[in-house]
Amino acid sequence: MLTMEQLYQQRLKRYTTAMRNEKPDRVPIRPFVAEFTAKYAGFTCQQVSHDYNLAFEAVNQCARDFDWDAMVPNMVYVWTGLTQAAGIRYYAVPGLDIPENVGFQYREPPEGQAFMREDEYDLLIANPTEFLFNVWLPRASKDVCAAGEPVNLRNNLSFLKGGMALLSYFNAFGPQIQKMRNDYGMVSAISGILKAPFDILADKMRGYIGLVMDLHERPEKVKKACEALMPHILHNALSGADPDKNVPIAFWMHRGCTPFINWDHFNNIFWPTLKPIIEEIWRQGHQTLFYAEGRWLAHLDSFLELPAGSIVFHVDQDDVFEVHKKIGHKFCISGGIPNYILAYETPDKVRALCKKVIDEVAADGGYIMDSSAIMQNDTSIENLKALTDFTREYGVY
Amino acid sequence: MNENETIELKPGICLSWEEIRKELPEIKGDEEILKRVWEDNEALAYMYIWHLLLSF
Repeated sequence: MLTMEQLYQQRLKRYTTAMRNEKPDRVPIRPFVAEFTAKYAGFTCQQVSHDYNLAFEAVNQCARDFDWDAMVPNMVYVWTGLTQAAGIRYYAVPGLDIPENVGFQYREPPEGQAFMREDEYDLLIANPTEFLFNVWLPRASKDVCAAGEPVNLRNNLSFLKGGMALLSYFNAFGPQIQKMRNDYGMVSAISGILKAPFDILADKMRGYIGLVMDLHERPEKVKKACEALMPHILHNALSGADPDKNVPIAFWMHRGCTPFINWDHFNNIFWPTLKPIIEEIWRQGHQTLFYAEGRWLAHLDSFLELPAGSIVFHVDQDDVFEVHKKIGHKFCISGGIPNYILAYETPDKVRALCKKVIDEVAADGGYIMDSSAIMQNDTSIENLKALTDFTREYGVY
Repeated sequence: MNENETIELKPGICLSWEEIRKELPEIKGDEEILKRVWEDNEALAYMYIWHLLLSF
């Protein structure tokens, strides 16, 4: 009988060996379970979104009951208590803006109400941090006053409450990760956050439509803005990275692929302002997990320019078998089990697909079992148990 | 932009020590500790705004 620490070390070795594109003792299981944890633990989406202690409890119940190798300490990462304290406008909060059992939503503003205007690129480029405080936040928060306006109580409280809430939340992760290790032998799957400069510009500043227009009307400004964001994005990624260099920085990939943008824009703006970040992260000894939301098959040749082992490529809507043929010799692959199968198909179908993936993708190691996208509360508990039990039983090297 | 625009800020800082240093009276003790603690607290403000953007 293994102690919890022995179990932890066994799982850590299994997980990291696969991420280095080598062959561990078994196929590791690292499900990115988000609102699924609420469903399993008997909580609502509102409860796990708005009370991070309940979110941790839901994760821990899964860690206790499922034989997985690694989990995210809280995959319902956006604590809506914090965003409310800071006055952030862009989330639909479960139980407030949307029904209590619907996962939180990001609401991108209409084109004319983007948080950054088309003529503000020079301000952003000159000093991104000052721009965020003085221009972006007063628009993104309903409480923060614009520069030059008289401040008021709600403005002051938003910074005090928001800042203290952020520290409270971040400081809670250490004990949560320790509890996962001590009580359940569970590895914390990722550490640190990365988004592409281009995606940040699209998601949170200009909006997708605004940015697409800018790509045609002022592409040089877009590129310079991405370049101005690069050192800050790198700094933030590294500041949250695993000091032991075991688990990767998670890179959440949004709308940088075709057909959201064209080839020229990918080749001249998106990739040149991202690739140096990935290379520097690798130079400092950390892997990056490419959480490739959507379809990225068309861009795999670009990713092959990266050093072997520098990334783990997570498959969402791409064909996991095609991805494996193309880049499996260089990088570990994870995911590829479609969420609709886990939500709506039978356990037999789940087992059949897992068998095919283990046979064809995991045969030589370098594969981590997971669904395609994060698992919300439509995921069937029975099907996720089938995935887990089958992979444990069949996925032995 | 304001007068800070001539000072290139490294990531992790919102207001540079060099700028704040100009506002202080003569430093009678160890400037390094003043600078280090200033920058440590700057890093918290920096973390706040950048994580609002990147994480939330």
